[in-house]
Amino acid sequence: MAEVLFPTCLDDARNLLVCSDAPALLAGGTDLLVQMRQKRIQPRTLISLDRVEGMQEIGQTDQHIFIRCGVPLARVMDHPSIRAHAPVLARAIADLGSPQIRNMGTLGGNIMTASPAGDTLPPLYVLDASVDLAGPEGFRRLPLAKFITGPGQTALASGEILWQVTFNKPDPGAWHWFEKVGQRRALSIAMVSLAAMFSLDSHNKLSRIRLAWGSVGPTIVQSRETQDFLCGRPLEPEVLEKACDLARAAVSPISDIRATKAYRRDVAGRLLMRLDQAVQGEN
Amino acid sequence: MKLTFMLNGSPVSVETPPDRRLVDLLREDLGLTGTKEGCGTGECGACTIRADGETKLACLMLAAQAQGRDIVTIEGLSPVAGPLHPVQESFVNSGAVQCGFCTPGMVMSIATHLDAHPDTDGDGIRQAVSGNLCRCTGYQKIVDAGLTAAGLMKNKGGCRG
Amino acid sequence: MASTDSMTQHKFERLKMNISSPPEIGISTPRSDAFTKVRGVEKFTIDLPSKDDLWAGVKRAGIPHARLIRVHTDQASALAGVAAVLTHKDIQGSNRQGVVRQDQPVLVDDCIRHCGDAVALVVAEDKTTLARALDLIRFEAEPLPGIFSVGDALAKEAPLIHPDHDTGNILLAGTLTTGEGVEGFNDCDCEASLSLEVPVQEHVCLETECGRALFEKDKLTITASTQTPFRDRHEIAQALGLSPEKIRVIAPFLGGGFGGKDGITVQSLLGLAALACPGRPVSMVWNREESFLASPKRHGATLFFRLGAKADGTFHALEAKADFDTGPYDHLGGVVLALGLEHAGGPYAIAHTQVSGRAVYTNNPVAGAFRGFGVPQVAAAMEQVVDLMAAKLTMSPVAIRLKNCLARGMKAPTGNTLAHSTGIRACLEAVGHHPLWQGAREWTARAPAHTLRGVGMACAMHGMGYGPVVPDVAHAKLELTREGRFKVYCGVSDMGQGNGATFLHIAGDLLNQQADGLELILPDTDQTLPCGSSSASRSTFTFAHALADASACLSQRIIKRAADSLMVLDPEEFVLVPGKLRHLSSGKDYPLAFLAGLMSPSERTVVSRYRAPVARDAVTDEKALQMHGIPHTIFSYTAHLARVAVDTITGGIRVDRYLAATDCGRLINPDLYEQQMHGAIAQGLGYALYEDYLTKKGQSLTPDLSTYIIPGARDLPPMELISVTTREQAGPFGMKGVGEVGIDAPLACIANAVADACGKRPGQWPLTRIRMLDLLGETL
Repeated sequence: MAEVLFPTCLDDARNLLVCSDAPALLAGGTDLLVQMRQKRIQPRTLISLDRVEGMQEIGQTDQHIFIRCGVPLARVMDHPSIRAHAPVLARAIADLGSPQIRNMGTLGGNIMTASPAGDTLPPLYVLDASVDLAGPEGFRRLPLAKFITGPGQTALASGEILWQVTFNKPDPGAWHWFEKVGQRRALSIAMVSLAAMFSLDSHNKLSRIRLAWGSVGPTIVQSRETQDFLCGRPLEPEVLEKACDLARAAVSPISDIRATKAYRRDVAGRLLMRLDQAVQGEN
Repeated sequence: MKLTFMLNGSPVSVETPPDRRLVDLLREDLGLTGTKEGCGTGECGACTIRADGETKLACLMLAAQAQGRDIVTIEGLSPVAGPLHPVQESFVNSGAVQCGFCTPGMVMSIATHLDAHPDTDGDGIRQAVSGNLCRCTGYQKIVDAGLTAAGLMKNKGGCRG
Repeated sequence: MASTDSMTQHKFERLKMNISSPPEIGISTPRSDAFTKVRGVEKFTIDLPSKDDLWAGVKRAGIPHARLIRVHTDQASALAGVAAVLTHKDIQGSNRQGVVRQDQPVLVDDCIRHCGDAVALVVAEDKTTLARALDLIRFEAEPLPGIFSVGDALAKEAPLIHPDHDTGNILLAGTLTTGEGVEGFNDCDCEASLSLEVPVQEHVCLETECGRALFEKDKLTITASTQTPFRDRHEIAQALGLSPEKIRVIAPFLGGGFGGKDGITVQSLLGLAALACPGRPVSMVWNREESFLASPKRHGATLFFRLGAKADGTFHALEAKADFDTGPYDHLGGVVLALGLEHAGGPYAIAHTQVSGRAVYTNNPVAGAFRGFGVPQVAAAMEQVVDLMAAKLTMSPVAIRLKNCLARGMKAPTGNTLAHSTGIRACLEAVGHHPLWQGAREWTARAPAHTLRGVGMACAMHGMGYGPVVPDVAHAKLELTREGRFKVYCGVSDMGQGNGATFLHIAGDLLNQQADGLELILPDTDQTLPCGSSSASRSTFTFAHALADASACLSQRIIKRAADSLMVLDPEEFVLVPGKLRHLSSGKDYPLAFLAGLMSPSERTVVSRYRAPVARDAVTDEKALQMHGIPHTIFSYTAHLARVAVDTITGGIRVDRYLAATDCGRLINPDLYEQQMHGAIAQGLGYALYEDYLTKKGQSLTPDLSTYIIPGARDLPPMELISVTTREQAGPFGMKGVGEVGIDAPLACIANAVADACGKRPGQWPLTRIRMLDLLGETL
C-alpha cells in the first residue's frame, strides 16, 4: 500500500520529495498508474501535484507563454493563448490519447515521461521551449532539448520538480503544422510524427523553418541540414522532395511492435510533402 | 484515509486505503457497478466518469484524487426512478445498446460533450467517444443516438445532468 | 468535413413502436434490456462479486512447450489469507475439457502446451493476497522444442504436441471434391490465383472472462459469462468428476462473446476452487492481459486459391488449400476447418472443385471459435480471385458475380442443393445499382493530392447452425405467472445480440402483451431448458420456433380454460389483449391474473422443443470431416462495397463509406438486424486493417490494448445497410440467422477496393500502413 500526499505549495512538495520513502510524483496519473500496474515502478509514496498552488496556471506576457506542469492537456489545448500563439501544440494535443486522457494527463507529465513518441514534444521543440525546474536550491532553466536526454530519461536532478514550460511567442505570421501517424486515429502511440513552424517571406520563400520529428530516434529529432536547405527556398513539391532525403538521413529510428525502422525513416521524410497544406488553410 | 466528496449529487464519506483505485472504490465499496473496468490501462473508456464536469477514467484515478470533487457516475446521470437523461433515452430508442458493457462510458462521454457542444455533428460525437471502445456496434448507432440526443436537448432548452 | 452520418437521418423518422403497446414482429422496438444497461444497473457476471467472496486466480505457464515436472506450492500455501492452492493432483475427474476432443487440461498435468496454460490455481481472501500468492508459485518444467508454425508442425521429426493423437500434429485434415476436381482446369480458358496469409484475431470482449461459484449442500452453482451454460455443465462434470445434476450454471447478459466464450474459460477452474472451499463464494475475473494470454483466438491461416473460368466468365473449376494454425488444443478447431472448407467456393456455381485444408496443432495461442468461424479466412481468398478473374476477362466485379451466383435449387460448390431461400442475386444487384457503385469512377477520379481512391466489392454466404451431426435444438419454456404475466424461460445466452429481447418481442406480438406483461429468465440450468449454444448464427432461429409453438399452445390453453370456466362454447370468442383476456361478443375483460388463478402451475407452463432442419446431402466420404458437421442447409447472403482512400504519404487507409446488402430473410426487429450487421462489419474491418495478434516463439508481442489495436469511433466509416428480405420458409416468421455473415466479406472488400486504387494486393493481412506503403513500392 502506498501513501498519497497532497502538498499545497511547491516548498512542501519539494520537501516531501526529499524526505519520503520511495517517492513518485503524481500529476494526471495516466502514465504513472499504467507503469505501476506493469510493476515497472513501485513507489511507496505518491506525491500529488494536484493541489500545489500555481501548478495549474497557464498564461502569457508580452514576450512569452508559460504553462505550469500541472495543467491538464485539454486546458492547454483550449487555452486562448495557445490557440492564438502555439496552434502547433494545440494540434498535437488534439491527437493525443482521448478526451478523458486529455482531461487527466498534464503537459508536465508528458514531458517527464520523455517518450520519443510523446505527442507534445515535437511542438515544444519547434517552439524552442525551455523548462524550469524547482529544486531544493532553487530554480534552474534548461532548454527542453537539453532536458530530455534519452528515451524516458531527463536531466531532472534528485529532489527537483518540473515547474513550468516556457517559450517565446512565435512570429505571428508563422505557419504551424503537426501530423501524427498512428496505428489508428485516437488512443495511439505515434509511429512517426512531425511538427513544423515556418514563415514565408514576401516572395513566398521559406524565411525561417523549424522542424521536429517524434518516434524516429531516442529523443525528438531536429535537423539543421534540412532546415538550412529549406530556408530561402519556395514551399514547392520539388523542394520538399529533396528535403525528404535530408530528413531521412537525419533520423535514427528503430523497429518495434508498432512500426519498422524502414517505415519510420521513409515516412519521416515523406511527411514533409504535406507542409504545403499548412498554408492552404487545411490546418 | 478518510475521503469526502460529492457523489451523484450527495456528499459521501469513506474510509479507504489512499492508493485504492477510484474504479474499485466505486464498484466494490460503494456498490456502483455501472462504471466498468475493461482494461485497467485507460485504453477502453469503460470506466468513464465525470469529475468536476469533465470526463475522466476511474481506472487511472486514485480514490484520493476524488477528495473534494464532484463525481458523477452513470447511476447519477438521471434520477433513480425518474426519467432517463436524453442521451440514455436516445441510446435506447436508436438501438445503440448491444451488450451494453461500453454503454455507461459512452453515455457519460456523449452527455458531457453535448453539455459543452450542443451544436455538435457526427464527427464531433465520434471525437467525443474516441476514448471509448465498443466491440459490438461499429459505433454507428452510438453516433446516431448522440445526434438524436443533441436534438432533444436543444428542444428542451439547455443542459441536463 | 460534412458529417456523412446525416445520411442515416431516415432512421429518426422511421416508424417505431411505442413501448407501451404490444410489439409487432417486423417493426423495430427498443430492446427490453437497453433500459437497465443505459442506467448502468444491469448486473453482468463481472459485477457480481461481493465483499465476502474468495478470489481465485491462475498461475499461467508463460512458456510455450515443456514437460511439467513439479509445482511448488508451499510458499504460496503458507501465506496468510490463502485458502487453497490447487494443482492437477487435486482434480478428481478427467482433468480434460473440449467440445469435440477433450484434450485441454483444467490444470496442466503432463505438458505445458502454450504460454497461457494453467499450472496452478490459488484461492485467497482478497485480490492483493491472491496476487502475492501467485507470485510465490514456482514450477519445474523441462523445456520441449516449440512448434510455432504449420510448417514446423508438419516437418519430419517434429515433436508431437499430442502423442496420443492418431494423426500426429494434424488435428483434422480433409478434402472436398466435386465434379472432376482439379481436372476441371483442363477445360478452362482462364485462370486466376492468389496466395495469402490472414492474421490471428482476438475477440476483445469488453467484459473479460469471469465467474462466481459456490459449492454448498452438495450442489455446485457457477455464474459465468458464458455462451454455453448447458454444455458447460457436462464439461465441468467430466473434468472435475462430478455428476451434471450437481452442477448449476447461470449465464447473465454477457458483455460480449463473439465466440471467445463459446466453451470453458473460467468455469472448471471456479468449480475446482469452490469445491476446495465449500460454503464460500469464489470469484474469478481475468484481467485484460490474462484474457489476451489465455483465451482462444481466430485461426490464423495460409491460403492458396486458384479459380478457372470459361472465356464468357462462367466459373468452371476451383482449387483451394487452407492451413489453419489451431494452437495446442482442439477447441472447435476441426469444426472451424470444416466450415471453412464448406464455404471456400463462395456463393457460386462451380462444377469442379477441390478444396482441401488442415487444422494443425502448434504451441501458439489456442485458436477456437470466433464469429465467422473459418469463413472470413476462405472468403478473404475467394472474393479476391473472383476479382482477379473479372479483371482478366474485363468484366465488372458485379457482373462476374451475377453471372455465377447461386439460386435456390442449384448446388453450392460443395455439391449440396440449396433447398432454402437464396438471396445472393438480389444482394449483388442492390450493390450494383447503388450510387456508390455507379458513381465509383467519378469518385475515384476526384482524389485529392497524395491520395489514391478505390471502390471495391465482395460477397459471401454463411451457413446457419451446427450442420447435420450435432442436433440443433432449443426448448422454450413459457409460463403464465400467477400475477398474470408471461415469463419466457430462455436457455440460450444473450451475449449482446439481443436474442433475449427478441424473444420478448416475439412473445409480445404472439400473445398481444406489452413490455410490462412480459418477463425474461436468462439461462439457468435449474430453471431454463437446454437451447444450444449462443453461436453459429442459430440462437434466434431455433428458440423463436420453439417459443412460437409454446406461445400458441399456452394461449390456447388459457382461452380454452376461460371458455370452459365461463361456459362459453366457442373459444374463438376470446382474444388476448394486454394483461387480459377479452370475450369479444360481450366485450368483457378478464384479467390474466384471474385466469391464472383458475389454472394449476403445470397448466400454466408450456414446454416446446424445436430442432432445426439439416441438409440431407452427403458432400464427403471422409468420416472425420463429415463428423465435424457439414454441409449446412440454410444460408444467409451478403454483398458489400467499400470506398477507400489510400494516403500515399503514410500508407494509411481510410474507409470512406461502406455498404452491405444482406439476405437474412425477414426481419423480426430491423434495429437488431442493423446492430448485427454494423458490428460484424466493424470486426471485419478490424480484421482487414488493424488487428494482428502477433507472437514470437509462442510469446505474445501484443499482450494488451495498447499493442493489439481495434478500431475506434474515428476509424470506422458510416455504414449503409440494405435488407434483401427473402422469406425463409423454414424460418420463424421468415427469418434466418444474421450474426456472422457480415464479418465474412470486409477483408476481401477492402482488398478489392485497394486493388482498384493502386492495382496491387498484399500477401499478408491486416493491411497496416506499413504494408500499404510497401505495396505502393515506396518504402526504402
